[in-house]
Amino acid sequence: MNALSVENLCVKINNIHLIENITFSIEEGSIVAIIGPNGAGKTTLVKAILGLIPSIGSISIFGIPFSGKKSHINIGYVPQRLEFDRTFPLTVSELLSFTIPPIFSFPFINKRQEKTYIYRLLETVGAQDLADRSIGSLSGGELQRVMIAKAIVNEPKILFLDEPASGVDIEGQERFYDLIMRLNKEKGLTVILISHDLNIVFRFADNVLCINRKLICSGKPAEMLTDEVIKSVYGEMMGAYIHSCHEHD
Amino acid sequence: MNMLSEFLSYPFIQRALLASVMVGILCPFVGNFVVLRRMSFFSDAISHSAFAGLAAGMLLGIDLSLSSIVVAILIAFLIAFLSEKTTLSHDTIIGIAFSGAIAAGMLIIGMLKSYRADIFTFLFGDILAITTIDLFLIFVVGALTIATLLTFLKPFLQITFNRDLAYVEGINVRFFEYLLFFIIAVVVTISLKIIGIILVTSLLIVPAAAAKNLASNMKGLFNLSCLFGVISGIVGLMASVYFNTPSGPTIVLVSIGIFFLTLLKPIIRK
Repeated sequence: MNALSVENLCVKINNIHLIENITFSIEEGSIVAIIGPNGAGKTTLVKAILGLIPSIGSISIFGIPFSGKKSHINIGYVPQRLEFDRTFPLTVSELLSFTIPPIFSFPFINKRQEKTYIYRLLETVGAQDLADRSIGSLSGGELQRVMIAKAIVNEPKILFLDEPASGVDIEGQERFYDLIMRLNKEKGLTVILISHDLNIVFRFADNVLCINRKLICSGKPAEMLTDEVIKSVYGEMMGAYIHSCHEHD
Repeated sequence: MNMLSEFLSYPFIQRALLASVMVGILCPFVGNFVVLRRMSFFSDAISHSAFAGLAAGMLLGIDLSLSSIVVAILIAFLIAFLSEKTTLSHDTIIGIAFSGAIAAGMLIIGMLKSYRADIFTFLFGDILAITTIDLFLIFVVGALTIATLLTFLKPFLQITFNRDLAYVEGINVRFFEYLLFFIIAVVVTISLKIIGIILVTSLLIVPAAAAKNLASNMKGLFNLSCLFGVISGIVGLMASVYFNTPSGPTIVLVSIGIFFLTLLKPIIRK
């Protein structure tokens, strides 16, 4: 079954086409990477799918048309740059409690239940020690793990990640993508990932969508990311270099 | 002690104390959202819109509280609508609404045939002139406002933290933003008689800003801001009676004193 189907999606702002007639579908349980140069419209595409910016075209999630209003299924989203006030006096636990399923957040339910739920959630992403930390004091890697925990709090079927590991060190990136793979395998989560890192795309993605305002190509990374395609997407200075080591199990 | 009990025996002082406690809780509670969302200028525009409402009420001969509340809500919604529909920045739209409301208010006052001294009660506030009906109104509106905010605290905080994430998580962002603007307009207008148009924004933002200096979590922020609001209200009222100073400015100056004390936190920590 298709987790996501997009047909003839267009985004036009001030008479400029940011996205033109993009059509693709994504299979349930797969990891799909969206690649393209800066300004290609990758973030715009994801935001249009999520209903955060106006668009024309049709989008359906698990076969049901999605108009950007409340979805019939839960969707997880980790934005490219999380804009928030760093001085916001908010702890990680409090942030996660906003999104927690209603049964746990009802005022008369024992707070211990909520605490246990949050602890288990943070444990899933290896961030159990961060529960009482202020959001503003977290490092880039720590914040990404918390944002993943927030994105999966309602057990979404589909997760959108917009350059989720940018600004995170190599070790942090490894842990992050291992976590995504684990969630994909254990929970059957469909993951749509924007990335600039072609090495990450080769290692973790089942499929790739190359865009530059239009859909340039789509398919398996090894088949699609040829020298020729990469040059046509990124320009003549780029080429494919596939690492032979670090093969993912 | 005798002086205090004598002071508290006057019905107008009792009403003033009760009003200052309620407004001391209500304004900072709502003010936390104003401070976290950086909407201080918006609340200023709303209080000045109430001035246009007062002037319209005087011209039409209708209840001034009603006219000010209606105009403040309309202007709040107009700001929200224009921010949504135009490419102008939020503060530009607020600036237009702000100056437009003041100009309209002054124009209407110029059209009045007689001199209206009661406009000064609203401009500068007079807590000692609070009537039983005013007090009843403050308590009913205050209780309803706090109940609404507590019921929807999570969606309000989610939107405050990050609008896009809240939207993706299924929250009706537009509805809750309009609801928050409505609540700010109502709270500002019912506090006018106590603090006055010119200073009402201070009671919204100063205790919340002071609490933000000390709090490490949301619970602490809400508890401390309300505590600072109540202390400012009671101490300011008592000081204004004792020193025979205007009540509104005295309450605001006490809250600013508390704000400066909270700035000492990093020094004390060292």
